[in-house]
Amino acid sequence: MSLIKKSSQQVKPFDKERDIHPFAIPFLWLGNKKVIKNFIWIPFSGLILMILIGLLYPQKHPAPWDVIPGSWALIGFFSYCLIVLCAKPLTSLLAQPEDYYGEGGLLDPEFSVENMVDEND
Amino acid sequence: MIDFLQINPGIWLILSGLICTIIPHTPFTQLYRKCLVVCAPIFTAFMITQIFTSDIAIGGLISIAGIELTTLRIDNLSMVWGYLFCLIGILNGIYGLHEKCKITDSAALIYSGAAVAGVLSGDLLTLFLFWELTAISSVFLVWRGGEHAYAAGVRYLALHVLSGVILLIGAVIHAKFNGGSYAFNHIGLQNLGGWLILLAIGIKCGFPFLHMWMQDAYPKASITGTVILSAFTTKMAIYTLARGYVGTDILIYIGAVMTCFPVFFALVENDLRRVLSFSLNNQLGFMVCGIGIGTELAINGVVGQVFVHVIFKSLLFMSIGAVIYRVGTAKASELGGLFRSMPITALFCLIGAGSIAAFPLLAAFVTKAMIISSVIYEAHHNSVLYLIAAMLLFASAGVMEHSGIKVPYFTFFSHDSGRRVKEAPWNMLVAMGLAASLCIFLAFPWGGYQMLYNLLPYEANYKPYTVDHVVFQLQLLFAAITAFCLLKKSGLYPAEKRSEILDFDWFYRKCGFDLLKSINLGWNTLDAKISNITRSAYGSVNKCLYGVFSPIGSFSKAAPSGLASVMTAAMLILVLIIVYFVR
Repeated sequence: MSLIKKSSQQVKPFDKERDIHPFAIPFLWLGNKKVIKNFIWIPFSGLILMILIGLLYPQKHPAPWDVIPGSWALIGFFSYCLIVLCAKPLTSLLAQPEDYYGEGGLLDPEFSVENMVDEND
Repeated sequence: MIDFLQINPGIWLILSGLICTIIPHTPFTQLYRKCLVVCAPIFTAFMITQIFTSDIAIGGLISIAGIELTTLRIDNLSMVWGYLFCLIGILNGIYGLHEKCKITDSAALIYSGAAVAGVLSGDLLTLFLFWELTAISSVFLVWRGGEHAYAAGVRYLALHVLSGVILLIGAVIHAKFNGGSYAFNHIGLQNLGGWLILLAIGIKCGFPFLHMWMQDAYPKASITGTVILSAFTTKMAIYTLARGYVGTDILIYIGAVMTCFPVFFALVENDLRRVLSFSLNNQLGFMVCGIGIGTELAINGVVGQVFVHVIFKSLLFMSIGAVIYRVGTAKASELGGLFRSMPITALFCLIGAGSIAAFPLLAAFVTKAMIISSVIYEAHHNSVLYLIAAMLLFASAGVMEHSGIKVPYFTFFSHDSGRRVKEAPWNMLVAMGLAASLCIFLAFPWGGYQMLYNLLPYEANYKPYTVDHVVFQLQLLFAAITAFCLLKKSGLYPAEKRSEILDFDWFYRKCGFDLLKSINLGWNTLDAKISNITRSAYGSVNKCLYGVFSPIGSFSKAAPSGLASVMTAAMLILVLIIVYFVR
């Protein structure tokens, strides 16, 4: 079985503020709290628009639920909410400590794999 | 003279893999090995084209012990899988160019070769051979994940070898009911053999309660290994279903369940590669359901969905692999804000996420709709199928949750984890870029999706870009995103926590293991008790014999000669009686 160990090569520490990829700089506003707070208006506007267009262009092969205006929007919204709201009971039922099976868990080194060397290589 | 067009093209990949194993491990020869990894799938695709265009539908006929084997069959169905496996083999080869590991290169080539050879085989015995080869070759990719992957690899191997054995038993029984023919055509569920083969495929395909190996092994494999693993095994199983079980009703219900249950597991899972494994399971459900429907539209949808799914799922695994490569973990709780460091990877991941969620202009939009539409069309004749259609729509919202939102959001956006790393290596970016371009191109309204539809086994009259389809699909997706924003704002969206989420494998990993331990303990206790009883019995007998025959025993004491004569006579009579009756 292969064993990986940390390379002796020193890695230059990154600066949180300065070491940003040049391509990311025009998109830093995505991390702005105000943008995040108001992001909901984009999908919500799209949703309203699509419901309105859906009234003008109904399904050509409708299912029984398509008689309700915005049926797919309702399915999407309530399905999503149902899935997410199931998380709490599911977590309390199924979640166990990471070392539950005693096999060492999933890959989680404290350092990047990039800086590791494989003894088999 | 060897006719190369009679050789199953998968063999070329397998041979390349074997050559890789003997190429010495030096920096110079590594270049040759990497060339082989990328060029072998190109050559294999070329050979598939040569055979397909030369009208050799069936070839490589071999007779062994009176059994006719058809080692090569290329038709409209198998050809799609053959090309797809070659395409993804090339992308995987490019993605893994940075990796120096000989085992990964060899295993990847043999594994992809076995998958190509399996889908191009014309009989069940040849299929069995390559079915097992995919299991044996791919386990090395799991084990390359490190020591923590060893046990998962053993479980993976055991289940897949078991699947092969069940396939073989099923094939033998099926052949018995079919006049000794092992031809791999429609199988159905008319006899026990058909059921056993379905069970074997079910293991490989991740049917409910048989799916655990996927979420167990895939997240533990090496970075490149997971990307490779996600492409072949399950799609080979889908091919065998599409070949042998078209229109089998039970698959509709199995598929519908497969689409729904992983959605819940994916939500509570913290490891993003495991989330993607559940997502893979969910997508397979759409395909299985479509095969169960079995109409031309459904089969076209399945084949199209397989084709694009391999590409966008690989893209998602590649992007998370790149994150692991740079950051060292795929745990959502440890990530966030990585778009600042890895913007190109983030863009590719978003394209993959949009593709799997079936956004218009992205891959699954032009294929998944065919499956859902086929269910709704058939529901006009059988109203139970409306329930199935509703389940598929529910699962579509679920796909949006785990793959469309959760994976890119918690990795690249969400809160800033403060990790500043380098962008992914160039070869990973090239592979992801190619996959992302294909996701866009294959859904492009003007000449893109038509090219995909030309590959489908039946004539495709389906028009994906109709106003109602675009509008209603966007309703579903926008509603899901709105729900996400609302739940996040209200604090009802669960925070990612480090934990091990129990799945059905708990029954054998914990319960079964504890049961075995208890049996072992019970056996040891029983063994000790039996040993004690035996020892005390031997002791008693020994004591008795000693008391009779030892120098101080009763037989050693002085006795009257008359008694000795009587004893001797009695023994003589006893011997005579025994000899008389024995003779």
